[in-house]
Amino acid sequence: MRRLLTNKRFITVVSLLIILAVIILGSIPGSPLNVVLKPIGAVVDPVQKAVKFTGNEISGFWAALTDGIAIRNENEQLRAEIAELQYQLTQNEEAAIRYEELQEAFHIREVFSNYDIFGASVLSRESDEWFSVIRAGVGNSDGIYLEQGESLAVVDVRMNLVGRVIEVNDDDSVILILLHEGFQVSGKVNAVNGATFLIIGDASLKQDGLCLVTGIDPDTIPSVGDEIVTSGEGGLFPQGIPIGVIESVDTSNELNITATLRPYADVENLNDIFIMVPYEDESEASDSEEVTDETFSEDT
Amino acid sequence: MKRSQKIRKYLVYALYLLLFSALQVTFTGVLSIYGIRPDLVFVLVVLCSYMFGFYDGVIFGALAGIIRDYFSAPSVTGIDGSVTTALGIGLFLMVAAAAFGSSFFTVRIERNFILAFVSVVIATLLYKGIGHFIIFLWFKVVTGMTYNLSLNQILLKSILPQVLLNLIAAIPLFLMLKFIGPYKNGVNPVLIDEKRRGDNTWLTM
Repeated sequence: MRRLLTNKRFITVVSLLIILAVIILGSIPGSPLNVVLKPIGAVVDPVQKAVKFTGNEISGFWAALTDGIAIRNENEQLRAEIAELQYQLTQNEEAAIRYEELQEAFHIREVFSNYDIFGASVLSRESDEWFSVIRAGVGNSDGIYLEQGESLAVVDVRMNLVGRVIEVNDDDSVILILLHEGFQVSGKVNAVNGATFLIIGDASLKQDGLCLVTGIDPDTIPSVGDEIVTSGEGGLFPQGIPIGVIESVDTSNELNITATLRPYADVENLNDIFIMVPYEDESEASDSEEVTDETFSEDT
Repeated sequence: MKRSQKIRKYLVYALYLLLFSALQVTFTGVLSIYGIRPDLVFVLVVLCSYMFGFYDGVIFGALAGIIRDYFSAPSVTGIDGSVTTALGIGLFLMVAAAAFGSSFFTVRIERNFILAFVSVVIATLLYKGIGHFIIFLWFKVVTGMTYNLSLNQILLKSILPQVLLNLIAAIPLFLMLKFIGPYKNGVNPVLIDEKRRGDNTWLTM
């Protein structure tokens, strides 16, 4: 028996079987295994943050050295531009006041007014092409919760779609980026009555930083360069989040017209993301929309 | 082994584990080809197990796998189309890589640097090859979705860049393990004892 327990083949086989059982157990919804990983975070997170900080400091220092001369020249140009911009700013401030007046007057509904936006920095990136989720430093403790079957849209600093939240832990959230095979979102051409279709992550396009566009109606084929935004269909994502532009269209098969889309979000170099959390339930949201519409029609 | 040597071993392993696991998920844009980047931790696990034996490799690999699952677990598309993270796959991968590395021509041929690199290449080929096959099966059989990577794309955009990058990463990592630690002179004294007793003859290739 002792020989068996010290046999390396036996240890390997038993270990791998136990791990397989762990994988199966972990896949069950509400599995306690997530809790097991929490203490690990207490050890590895500070190290990872220190590595990130050190790397950023080194690259910042290097950039400061190399850019020093260029910055000096640029500084001269910028001084001249500042004077010009200050003049424009004064004009823009007046325009902004005018816009707010108009907005109030016509009750223009802000696109994402029903959402709380939670900003967070990206804690860790994907390890390789399969270990591919990213973690952001915002979670339950910040007031973000995710019910089963729900999802939350994730955008970058320019409000371009990055992906969606698939898991929320106490202090962090797990994000599936839009290039992943498991990602899909309903999108439409950013125009009045723009054609809608499905944008999905694709294994073969992922490495080129592209998504696949399917479900294209032969009568409303998008053109190269068309901007695609979320359509709001399906209810997971709010309408109007910019996704990207159509890069190519394949009409060789009329029954299955596809296109490729290049996302606006630079997922390779993400540092900060924003999670969009609806703060009203759908019925309340639709009620408030109706009220807004009614008010609008009454006013007009 | 003396107590001081043991402490040094544990400290160096802990440092490698934390540092490389953190590096792997932090500066991902560096050295990337077709979105593929060197898998520093995987290479380290294979090299550790090849150079320092089964127990070192498996324990180091298991810890590295757990950290990988914590940092960036793989996302899996379920039968209902929902996507969840699958814990334990990193652990499985790293333990399997360690078991492979520790049995790679380690008895009939003395451990040497050329075979260390060959072990990294073959472990990477196996990992990527089996990985693509399992994903293909998962998509085809379980989810009913298509895994539309052609064999050409798998070879040229996934396996070959990964092998190349892992091989490049293996050079400094091998030198690091050999000359910085965890063992003095880059040799695990336990392996020499095992060889004398004849315990080191399992899974010989």
